[in-house]
Amino acid sequence: MNRITVPALALLAVAALVAPSGAASKGPAAGKNVHVGVIADVTGAAGVYGTPQKNAYELANEDVKSGKIDAGGANLVFDVQDAATDGAQVVNLMQKFTTDGQTPIVIGPTLSGEAFKAFPIAKNANFPVMGTSTTAEGVTAIGPTVYRDSLAESQVIPTTVKRTHDKWHYKTAAIIYGDDNAFTKTDGDIFARELKAAGVDVVDTETFHIKDTDFQPALTRIESKHPDVIAVGALFPEATKIIQQAGKLGIKAHLMGGNGLNSPEMYTVAGPAAQGCVVGAAWYSGAKYASNVDFVKRYTAKYGKGPDQFAAQSYAAAQIVAALVKGGATTKDEMAAALKNVRVIQTVLGPIGFDANRDVKSSPVILSIVKNGFTYFH
Amino acid sequence: MIAQQLLNGLFLGAVYALFAVGYTLIFGVLDILNLAHAAIFTAAAFAAFSLAAAGVPLPLAFLLAGCMGGIIGILLDRVAFAPLRARNAGTLVPLISSIGVAIIIGAILRGIYGVDERHFTTGGLDTAPAIHLGPLTFTTVELTIFFAAIAMMLALSWILRATTLGRRIRAVAEDRVAAALLGVDLERTIAATFFIASSLGGAAGVLTALEYNSVTLDMGGPIELKGLAVIILGGMGSVTGAVIGGFILGALETLAIAYGASAWRDAIVFGGLFVMLVVRPTGFFGKRTLRAA
Repeated sequence: MNRITVPALALLAVAALVAPSGAASKGPAAGKNVHVGVIADVTGAAGVYGTPQKNAYELANEDVKSGKIDAGGANLVFDVQDAATDGAQVVNLMQKFTTDGQTPIVIGPTLSGEAFKAFPIAKNANFPVMGTSTTAEGVTAIGPTVYRDSLAESQVIPTTVKRTHDKWHYKTAAIIYGDDNAFTKTDGDIFARELKAAGVDVVDTETFHIKDTDFQPALTRIESKHPDVIAVGALFPEATKIIQQAGKLGIKAHLMGGNGLNSPEMYTVAGPAAQGCVVGAAWYSGAKYASNVDFVKRYTAKYGKGPDQFAAQSYAAAQIVAALVKGGATTKDEMAAALKNVRVIQTVLGPIGFDANRDVKSSPVILSIVKNGFTYFH
Repeated sequence: MIAQQLLNGLFLGAVYALFAVGYTLIFGVLDILNLAHAAIFTAAAFAAFSLAAAGVPLPLAFLLAGCMGGIIGILLDRVAFAPLRARNAGTLVPLISSIGVAIIIGAILRGIYGVDERHFTTGGLDTAPAIHLGPLTFTTVELTIFFAAIAMMLALSWILRATTLGRRIRAVAEDRVAAALLGVDLERTIAATFFIASSLGGAAGVLTALEYNSVTLDMGGPIELKGLAVIILGGMGSVTGAVIGGFILGALETLAIAYGASAWRDAIVFGGLFVMLVVRPTGFFGKRTLRAA
């Protein structure tokens, strides 16, 4: 080896070590086209959740091209189709993707209620699907090819109740939840179960419907029972109004909720009443590990506002599929087999895997709302 | 608690009533159900949001957005109703036509504003001081909204009773052909009716947006059905009935929750409506009270 080759090789070795994750490797699927179907409610009532999901896949498509997401050299594309918050359209799209012969996996739909309609189709076709926001109980039980990378409410709320109870030592609680949505109904049921298990007396339970705007009658009734804590099972639009109106009525009880309250805009929208509200969540935008910091920064630069949990879980799903493709999975059967063997994949949600029920294995974060977003609840 | 709940119902009812009087006014005059009324409600709320974001003070933004609602109403009539009226298309075709316009308005709003919920960042809506009066708690914003809604309904009542325009509107509602024979300019009167009704619908949208500090594409959905319930309860075409119906609906909704039946709220309200219609199919004030308004 001559004098020039040795330093050159050493330089190459160093370069390989410090190369950004952007340098895509060449795996068994290198050069192959992999077309992943994504069903998201970009428009319609759930557009507020589906839009950040679509944004995340657009960013992922760019990142696969640039090599920031390593798909082993495959031409991996996430094809986002808008289901327009229409159950029939969700079913049509699932049928299209599962029968077109070129899609190896479907990610989505956006809502749990939609998943209960669409995932049985995937189950019958023995087709792998992954939910990123379908957190209601029973979703993965639909079939052996149904996975999700989002922590279920049943994984988040017990920790939320335990941690708040350890700190606040409350004796009474009230629950307010949406009873016409699988996600919020699950919240209400799990809060009731966990609070009871913690020895807390649930003095009042109020329900509402999605799109309701006036919660003062329910909150007035809750306040007449003087609970120490109010557990909120709601999605962002209703949660902000519940918190805002609780503040207006001068309610002093502690507030807590699940994933539905995990938005960086919670304080901005709900106002000062949101200060100190505890949120059990699957992901924290302010988490300091490098891949998360980078994701939040680039998403914010591209879309002018920070990602929410829906965006993060979608981007993580893209990272999971890319890892499977990198390992050589390009058909539905290979994808289904590869999903069964997932151990740990690094994502923006942190290192995650799947348990025996095909639910994500990761830990919830318990946050407290502060003026500029969230802080860890200690 | 009940006093506070009745107050909650009063605030809620005022906005329902304001929305419903516009709804029922068009029905009273033209015998058609304008299902684009909720789309105008939403469009005006977005207009007020844009104006406020551009630095226009909230009261002025409210007035301008209300007028904008009125102008959209006139356009709605020219596009969706006038051509059908000229061909005597009956009452069902305009209903479908108004649904079409509602969908188009929704699509335009989505194109301009996207799907995210919008919030007023000026005017201190979040920090409006709460007033405690005995067992009652309310904010200055709620109080202002309540009185604005009442003032607009009183103004409408005055216009219908005491002005030439009001007399023309009532004449057209009574008998379109006879009114035309007596020299009433039908199209101008109908345009004025659409302007007034849609301004009120738009104003209700802005007030709702201000009350909850929230502007969304689907904010018109729930109130559309409730507005329909209110005008049926009050008597189709009756302005007085719509006002009373609005307050009754607001009170029923809050009392259903006050007595621990939040899960049954809508079932109770619409069950009550059904019973009411069985007992009195024309609602409180029948159909034709607009003529005597």
